[in-house]
Amino acid sequence: MRYGHSEGHTEVCFDDSGKFIVTCGNDGDVRIWEGLDDDDPKFITVGEKAYSLALKNNKLVTASSNNTVQIHTFPDGDPDGILTRFTTNATHVTFNSSGSRVAAGSSDFMVKVVEVSDSSQQKTLRGHEAPVLSVTFDPKDDFLASASCDGNVVVWNIKEQSQLISWPLLQKTNDVSNAKSLCRLAWQPGTAKFLAVPVESKVQLYERGSWDHVSTLSDDLLTQLVNVVAWSPCGQFLAAGSVGGSLNVWDVSSKLCVERQKHEKGFTVCGLAWHPSGSQIAYTDTEGCLGLLDGLRTSTSNSTNTASKQAVVTKPAKDYDALFDDDDDDRVMDEGVRSRAILDDENSLDTGSLKLGQEKCGDDDDTGSGVVPAAPLVPLRPAYEGPMPTPPQKAFQPGSTPAHLTHRFMMWNSVGIVRDYNDEQDNAIDVEFHDTAVHHAMHLTNTLGHTMADLSQEAVLLACPGTDELASKLQCLHFSSWDTNKEWMVDLPQGEDVRALCLGQGWAAVATSTLMIRVFSIGGVQREIFSLPGNVVCMVAHGEQLLIVYHRGFDGEQALGVQLLQFGPRKRQLIHGEPLPLSHRSYLSWLGFTAEDGVVRMLNRSVGNTWTPVCNTRETCKSKSDSYWVVGIHENPQQLRLPVPSHSAPTCCGHPALQAASVSDLHRERTDGGKHSQHIRHYKLVLLRDIETQYLPGEQYCRSLLFSNHFSFLSSSGYEIDEEAQSQSQKDQQELLMKMFALLFILHVFFQLSCKLEREFRCVELAELMTQKVVTLAIRYASRSRRMALAQRLSVNPFAKEAVSPVKTNLTPITKGGRANPFKVLGSGKPSSASGQPRVTNILDNMTTSRKSFPLSGPAGKQNKNTVLKPLAPRPKTKTQSTLLQMSGTKASNKKTQQNTQPAADRQKQPEAPPPASPADNTENKRPKTGFQFWLEENRKSITADNPDLEETDVIKEAMGRFRTLSAEDRLVRNTGRSEGRVPIRGEGHIRDGVLENL
Amino acid sequence: MDASEVEFLAEKETVKIIPNFSLDKIYLIGGDLGPFNPGLPVDVPVWLALNLKQRQKCRIVPPAWMDVDKLEEMRDLERKEDTFTPVPSPYYMELTKLLLNFASDNIPKADEIRTLVKDIWDTRIAKLRLSADSFISQLEAHAKLDNLTLMEINTIRAFLLDSLNCLYKLRSNQHPGSSKGQFADF
Repeated sequence: MRYGHSEGHTEVCFDDSGKFIVTCGNDGDVRIWEGLDDDDPKFITVGEKAYSLALKNNKLVTASSNNTVQIHTFPDGDPDGILTRFTTNATHVTFNSSGSRVAAGSSDFMVKVVEVSDSSQQKTLRGHEAPVLSVTFDPKDDFLASASCDGNVVVWNIKEQSQLISWPLLQKTNDVSNAKSLCRLAWQPGTAKFLAVPVESKVQLYERGSWDHVSTLSDDLLTQLVNVVAWSPCGQFLAAGSVGGSLNVWDVSSKLCVERQKHEKGFTVCGLAWHPSGSQIAYTDTEGCLGLLDGLRTSTSNSTNTASKQAVVTKPAKDYDALFDDDDDDRVMDEGVRSRAILDDENSLDTGSLKLGQEKCGDDDDTGSGVVPAAPLVPLRPAYEGPMPTPPQKAFQPGSTPAHLTHRFMMWNSVGIVRDYNDEQDNAIDVEFHDTAVHHAMHLTNTLGHTMADLSQEAVLLACPGTDELASKLQCLHFSSWDTNKEWMVDLPQGEDVRALCLGQGWAAVATSTLMIRVFSIGGVQREIFSLPGNVVCMVAHGEQLLIVYHRGFDGEQALGVQLLQFGPRKRQLIHGEPLPLSHRSYLSWLGFTAEDGVVRMLNRSVGNTWTPVCNTRETCKSKSDSYWVVGIHENPQQLRLPVPSHSAPTCCGHPALQAASVSDLHRERTDGGKHSQHIRHYKLVLLRDIETQYLPGEQYCRSLLFSNHFSFLSSSGYEIDEEAQSQSQKDQQELLMKMFALLFILHVFFQLSCKLEREFRCVELAELMTQKVVTLAIRYASRSRRMALAQRLSVNPFAKEAVSPVKTNLTPITKGGRANPFKVLGSGKPSSASGQPRVTNILDNMTTSRKSFPLSGPAGKQNKNTVLKPLAPRPKTKTQSTLLQMSGTKASNKKTQQNTQPAADRQKQPEAPPPASPADNTENKRPKTGFQFWLEENRKSITADNPDLEETDVIKEAMGRFRTLSAEDRLVRNTGRSEGRVPIRGEGHIRDGVLENL
Repeated sequence: MDASEVEFLAEKETVKIIPNFSLDKIYLIGGDLGPFNPGLPVDVPVWLALNLKQRQKCRIVPPAWMDVDKLEEMRDLERKEDTFTPVPSPYYMELTKLLLNFASDNIPKADEIRTLVKDIWDTRIAKLRLSADSFISQLEAHAKLDNLTLMEINTIRAFLLDSLNCLYKLRSNQHPGSSKGQFADF
């Protein structure tokens, strides 16, 4: 219900497509609404007052106060001539069914029928003795019915311009303004069988041809005069609006009232129009308000002649379906629906109704819903008045304002603000960063019509919904990339629309209308695809975590589910799939992570409650008022549309634990794996077609990624079995390795493609997914295609894949390939092809020698180590590029050593301990600490100096601890240096040990 | 006291800014400031706010009273009352001048605010002059003036004291003889 015109008589109709609602009113304007929410309707001024309007074939006919009937074009509103004139104003105009003629009734007692194409061809129907109230065409164009203030309803023969029949049905008055009822007549469309005439509080139906009064539609609760009637487009239902503001819909075949509504304020309904689809009724009242009656049954059911019982049962079910716009779930026809259906037919006092109810009772028994028809005794209630379900909310972006605003925030988060300006002159997007150090502000022209955005420290992600011609697009401005080509765009498959999106660290996720989540790397590679159990509501990301809220189904309130996913470098684990607590009749309005610690909390604005759904503690904080718009939980809620925040944040505390036991994780992953493999089958259909790359490698890549997922799972499980049955795991892993190779090959193909397309950043991203072996190939490829910068970057990258390497290292025999090569430190040390390896080494050597301070090249690096070396203190990090390799290596190995130190120390204490945890440790145990011995010799003094009171065994223990805190390279350098250089004690095996130990 | 000195004192007032840089807490003699997080409002003294603003490191959030509706109300009240009404800030004139001169782009309806504050100022100064006039003309010995700001007192001080001195001189001269010589000595 909304205000539309100034008070006075108003009329309403839909345009032919049903897209617009068109109203006219006392202010002389015709307004064209795109929907009830349209705050800025187009308007056409047709005169000082508009009495009536009719719209067909993009011609808008209005009766205005200057005694004319005019045509305007629709929707442009250009004047298209005057159709006819009267001596006083026309009261009602209407089109015939084909739109070729217009009939107009006037206060000068005349009715005119005019050809739209040629206004000179007029037929005048004289005979009324008072102002004409309304006119309506026979759909077959033979007759015309009119009602007049003289109390008569007359049917005219248009051709002969004569009165066919006249019924004195109405009260006599002297003017339209004094008439109690407007008596809008309506002729049944299609079959043209009935003419509906509102008489007092009933609607009488007259049969065409015989002109007999065949039936009366009435309702006990309808006590006031019926003002207007309108047939549904299918001709099966008749809607009536009364002076008292009630709206009724009857099923004409069964004469049952299927819908009752009361005008909110009880104003007189004076205009009524059905949507062409039959699913909505628009109405206007004498106070100038426009209302929409939604969720009506559709017109498609063609059951006029079938049993009314069926009609009644199916209709409300459809009614409910309409409520859930896209949930085509037949199960929603629950008890409530059924009882409603029963109530409905009880209400009509038709003789058949009791029988009908009993019949349906039988039906109910069949389906087992067991609704007892106790209702016939109960006094009549107009409609279902039980608790109505909260309609499921649509997908939204947290931190954005509604999409229909012309100036709106597409995103306001802790990084910055994305604004959208969408008006006549300009359609643009402004990106502004809170911290100007991140990036300067950006201004983009929004040619694609993006409606969703997310912003992170790395990139801006934009998406637009698809149209008929254009697919839904995802655009990413990766401004933090060093690549000159900072932008990428993907088209989603036809019929798949972006519903929600978010940016994590190094990746982007998109939820689509086909219940799919697609995860892209920030450079534009599709990394993951999986389906969601329900329609997405919103998504947020933080770091490597993705939080998704989706609809879980329906139980009266909104049932939302939460999933938290971790896209770690090693594992992708599903942490949650729980219901989101949401209070009664409320909507989720914001969702986010806190900035500090990644703890998930949710804030629900409509009730002002904050939830911490991840743990069981549930905070409820009242926000100051509804007008605050949550931007982030770690910041103050910012006032809507005002960039000035002024209120304290709802304080939230508590840090729910997100850890899950590793065993259950594995378990979950296994079930996940099942889901993935299901997806593989559809893969060809749903896969993204990257505009720039070819279809095949992309698909292969994604598929192989899934495989690799599966294999990482496999490998981790194999890893555990290892403890018990090593031989079996060996077999497994061998198999895995074979498949890995296949995957890597595909990766390489993809890499080459990207390389050709000058997507260097993407290349590096891909390289991160590769293993050592393939990276060397990639580097070779890059250098051969004269992309030295890329090759260099690849060589500097911490490309060792942790998830893969531990498996392979202990499997494959290691051959020493020439010289100590930086890659050896991090890589898996797989057998390298004889031709490939030396060449790569050459390239790298060239590069490293050209840079003076490359830390690991030869003895210089070693010396460097010796001087800097402070066993227990972490090495200060430098930011120069040349040390990048060193840094990443340190980090990785630090992690490793931290993990390893504890068990290793334990082993030292209890050498006879049960079988070691992993094969890597195993080998370590068998041939202990050769590199360590050398190191110990060197450092014994410092250790004893630090701790003079230590026993010999304690010294060794201490030394052991220190040695393990050293970085992998350090130890390697130590080992290799010793073996290659001065004291070759044990030769090759030695080095192998060193490498193994470090991995 | 100079007007610029009053302005200097006014610069110690705090104002909210929204920085666009990130900086840890800074420890100054006058107190700790910050931490500064981009996009999050923080209270800082006016001198710092203006400095940051001039370097385009922040946006200034105008004080709550610097709002057209509130000022209009205040102006109307000021005009209606015979006595001085309480002002929103003891340094309203100085702050308005400073903020509007350096950060008018962050203050909505800056021109209107300028006019309104000027109106209030004029009204108050007019009242002050009027009361000074009646004070003198009625030969009062003392008067009570509430709700005056430092700047206003400062504006009238020089004139009022000088004129009172002069008056005293003139009045002393009315009594023949005795004090004549003394004044000559002065």
